Amino acid sequence: MYSNLSFIPILIQFVFVAGFIATMIAISHYVGPKRHSKNKDANFECGIKQYGNARIPFSVKYFLVAILFVLFDVEVIFLYPWAVNFRDFGVDGLWKMAMFMGLLLVGFFYVLKKGALEWE
Amino acid sequence: MSLTNEIIKQKVEEKFGESVKAFTEADFGLLTFEVDRAKAIDLMQFLRDDETLRFNFLTTMCGVHYPDNELERQFAVVYHMHNWLDNVRIRFKAFLNGDNPEVESATRLFLTANWMEREAYDFYGIAFTGHPDLRRILNMDEMVSFPMRKQFPLEDGGRTDKDDRYFGREPQNSNLN
Amino acid sequence: MAENIKMVEAPAGFSGEGFFATSLDKVVGLARSKSLWPLPFATSCCGIEFMATMAPHYDLARFGSERPSFSPRQADMLLVMGTIAKKMAPVLRQVYEQMAEPRWVISVGACACSGGVFDTYSVLQGIDKVIPVDVYVPGCPPRPEQILDGIMKLQELVKNEKMSRRDSPEYKALLATYGININ
Repeated sequence: MYSNLSFIPILIQFVFVAGFIATMIAISHYVGPKRHSKNKDANFECGIKQYGNARIPFSVKYFLVAILFVLFDVEVIFLYPWAVNFRDFGVDGLWKMAMFMGLLLVGFFYVLKKGALEWE
Repeated sequence: MSLTNEIIKQKVEEKFGESVKAFTEADFGLLTFEVDRAKAIDLMQFLRDDETLRFNFLTTMCGVHYPDNELERQFAVVYHMHNWLDNVRIRFKAFLNGDNPEVESATRLFLTANWMEREAYDFYGIAFTGHPDLRRILNMDEMVSFPMRKQFPLEDGGRTDKDDRYFGREPQNSNLN
Repeated sequence: MAENIKMVEAPAGFSGEGFFATSLDKVVGLARSKSLWPLPFATSCCGIEFMATMAPHYDLARFGSERPSFSPRQADMLLVMGTIAKKMAPVLRQVYEQMAEPRWVISVGACACSGGVFDTYSVLQGIDKVIPVDVYVPGCPPRPEQILDGIMKLQELVKNEKMSRRDSPEYKALLATYGININ
């Protein structure tokens, strides 16, 4: 049957592909024609003059919403295998998953109480 | 009772006396009059704040150039105001000196006057004292002329392909070769 | 088979059993001319005619202009359509300069070619006062068929352009007359 060694061709293929891509990019970078001028290298701003920096401070609520989404989404991902094997795990599995979700629920209540999901 | 032109004329004359003149209703019943340059913005404020007149909207304002008039009346600024509550419109003009056209800015009363005055400055060179940011708005910033003044040419002067015959130009009055 | 089919001629080259050899210039020219990605710099009425040209009835995409882009970095040809005011001229110049070579310019409509009807203080009398132009399409506005004809003429130009043109001193001199100094 298949041993670990029989997957070596895939590794070789991967090395070839990565090498080919890197070679192509390197060749086009070093051999390709280049044109530079002050205006050409400036950022494209639809032809008008650029003022200041594009990096301005923005509100932290966007970050909070995104990071909390990631956390609870990962929790949901952990629930999927349990959903598939629900009967096999029985009551024991139910209790363990309830503990897991309970811990995360405590975190969720903390977030709600602290008002991290308030939008304004 | 509704706000008629008679009432407006009476109230304005009562407050401003000699500074307002030449009342006319020739243009389809639109009350039009002239005001002295120094009192133009005070008049606008009175029209806006008075409880009977209540002209709460500055519809538009623009400049005019009359090169054939006497020196004191060569430029004019025309203001149109509109009373939304009674649906009455009014127009008044302030005539300005030809060498030094300036008038107080209306931006402290109406924010829209900001761009309207920039346009009047851009095309006529009328200086609005007290304007927060008086610079050219529609023409390119490097332009030195005030294009709508009658002495400045309409044409660009760089065209070589225009045939004078088609433009009715005789050799003595064409400015192309 | 119908008789009226117009076949495209192959470029001059040496062909044999299962291969065709020609010069790199010709192949590259053929490839470039059949895939000119436009940058529609549409300002006025000619821009509307361009919209009609892009629409399925006249269909610019069948000439290879499948992907119009508003970014100069990713476009081959700059289609200037409409009246360019003097205030807009430096913007147009900046957009042209930021395009990646090889690049071509088509000036569509009378206003872009020469200022059109508007011989006045505010209108630029022809975009060739600020950027080098390859094809002029007259009209006010030109019909979509005329715009397509202009693009086909540009395709002929592109097909016959040598690959070394962009490095040549004549090209640099041409750009220098417009004040664009590229090294």
